[in-house]
Amino acid sequence: MTVRHGQIKAPTAHKIGWYMLQATVTYIVMTAALWCVFIYVPTEKAQGIVQRIFYFHVSSAITMFVAFFIVCVASIIYLWKQAQWWDNVALSAAEIGVVYCTLVLITGPIWARPIWGVWWTWDPTLTLTLVLWLIYVAYLMLRADASDAKRTRFAAVLGIIGFADIFLIRWSVVKWRTLHPKPVVVQEGGTTGLPPSMMVTFCLAMAACLLLFFFLLRERASLAQRRYELETLRDEIENELVR
Amino acid sequence: MFNSTGFFQQVIAILAKDLRTEWRTREIFTFMFVFTVLVIVIFNFAIGADPETMRKVAPGILWVALLFATVLGLQRTAQLESEEDCFQGMLLALRDRSVVLIAKVLVNMCYLLVVTLCALPLFSIWFRIDVASHLGPICLVLTLGMAGLSLVGTLFSTISINTRTRGLLLPLLFLPLSVPLTISAVYATTDLLQGKRLADISDYLTLMSVYDIVFLVLSLLVFDSVVEE
Amino acid sequence: MSGEMMVRLQGVTKRFAHVWALRGIDLELRRGRCLGIFGANGAGKTTLLNILATLARPSSGQVTIAGYDAVREADKIRPLLGVLGHRTYLYGDLTASENLQFYGRLFGVPNAHQRSQEWLHSVGLDPDSRQRVRTFSRGMQQRLAIARVLLHEPELLLLDEPYTGLDQNAVGRLQRLLDDLQAADRTIILSTHDLARGLAVCDEILIQSRGKVVYYEEAASDLDITGFEQLYAAHVQ
Repeated sequence: MTVRHGQIKAPTAHKIGWYMLQATVTYIVMTAALWCVFIYVPTEKAQGIVQRIFYFHVSSAITMFVAFFIVCVASIIYLWKQAQWWDNVALSAAEIGVVYCTLVLITGPIWARPIWGVWWTWDPTLTLTLVLWLIYVAYLMLRADASDAKRTRFAAVLGIIGFADIFLIRWSVVKWRTLHPKPVVVQEGGTTGLPPSMMVTFCLAMAACLLLFFFLLRERASLAQRRYELETLRDEIENELVR
Repeated sequence: MFNSTGFFQQVIAILAKDLRTEWRTREIFTFMFVFTVLVIVIFNFAIGADPETMRKVAPGILWVALLFATVLGLQRTAQLESEEDCFQGMLLALRDRSVVLIAKVLVNMCYLLVVTLCALPLFSIWFRIDVASHLGPICLVLTLGMAGLSLVGTLFSTISINTRTRGLLLPLLFLPLSVPLTISAVYATTDLLQGKRLADISDYLTLMSVYDIVFLVLSLLVFDSVVEE
Repeated sequence: MSGEMMVRLQGVTKRFAHVWALRGIDLELRRGRCLGIFGANGAGKTTLLNILATLARPSSGQVTIAGYDAVREADKIRPLLGVLGHRTYLYGDLTASENLQFYGRLFGVPNAHQRSQEWLHSVGLDPDSRQRVRTFSRGMQQRLAIARVLLHEPELLLLDEPYTGLDQNAVGRLQRLLDDLQAADRTIILSTHDLARGLAVCDEILIQSRGKVVYYEEAASDLDITGFEQLYAAHVQ
């Protein structure tokens, strides 16, 4: 449904077909990924059963970066075009990004504890994730704090700057980390040198996380858009009726 | 009606106005300086380690104190402009609004540098660190760091003063974003005090310079969106 | 010079989040005319003036001031504008003279120092030119604000609720100022609640309600105050 002031267009059909397709694909891939991670893939020798977290831990981290990248791009487009939809996309991507970020921060310690004996290590990626969590939580708080008129623009500015800062934070945190010896030298299980079964599992987990992200993004952004249109319509009607 | 004066003349006019105001009231500088000193003292109590360890963490303590003083000082600077809507008055008088941003960034840098220079002698005495012999390189590190803090701080204090809580969010926005500066400035200073030369800390200097340039460009690009009603 | 189109708005809307503050404003004002905008709180008067002052951009529509587009060429419009509201735009810790010189420098007024002194003289603030504005009474601040707004000789004056909080003397001063400006062929747009004073000074009047223009009269001198009050009550809920 689109609303122009003074005129309401007839509602267009919700794109049921695409929605069902997206939902189904996401569901299938996620189920496959879960099966692979917990049942199919063999237990890794060195790290034991805890290593299974790796698949979702790394996938969540990558999805988180994708989410924050989308916040940045959507913010730029919003400032350029002043279209509410892009602000909704930015908000949704930020919310879901913070969720994935939290998942990284939770799965990291769960993985670290059995392997290294400590809950937390200040390794570059975890540290970077923590700082990002702080930035994007502040993003959400800024949205709540600003008045209606300026909220979207301020959030867009933070969305752009926050993302630009990621590279600088990563650079500085890596530099900082090399000053402190790591407790144990750990192979973080990069994607090269993985046996095929693990590679497949990782790819499935990655795909599942991304698909889930895009599905939630679409739903959340659409919800925000419909809420916005509802409020606009309500405001319209109140003014028409009073006059 | 009249031809506008040049960009830098306008920047200097605003700079002069702010410094003149500050000279008369001296409230921002005094507050920032006393607060910096206070934080250093409190850290001393809180950490309370032997002098050797304290000397190692001293640059970190100094920088944290400056960070906190910056946040509070910037909030006050932004507040002054919002009285009588003077900020709007300036925006109406300028063809190119980035004059305001540059001027405010320079003003904040001035406050920070003066506070730091005043705090350095105390720092030197309390931690028994010989700052004087490395003064040049340390000043370079501090200037690059202050420039970055000013840039981020000015942009976000302009944003946060226009929210419902009127600036309460500034630390939450500012501190995580300035992490690269914190890390670089503290470790560059530590290295310098341990006798390393400028060439050895060049990667920290590069990081700070890149940070400053990136934030300068981004701030200029988004400033118009921030000040619009 | 007179008769040329100074201000033109076509289909101007302004949205804040989901609220439409302006819902399609069309407006034309010739140079040298004085337009009064009347309306209740929340009608969008301040939003309209903000857009005219290039402080805000319209969500849609065209705004042309002195032939320049307010969105793309705002920097050419600002030197032509003088904005006066209930906020004085004055720095409390600077002296009157310093305030004027500061704005003079920003506007690029030649001989800023000399002109400031002349203006201080014409608003009668000569003896207080070296006092900090914080020590001024409200009336003195208003006089200084007037000097400030006229220092760069703007062609279009925008006044947002200028009568708010003014005593009789101050109101009289403002009325005289507006008469002088009109005589000097300046264009004036003022928004106010005060029907009587607005009607006395304006050539054209416009009533705004809920973001729309609900009444417009090009020859305000034809109206008397009771008629206007009835009109206003009828159009504004």
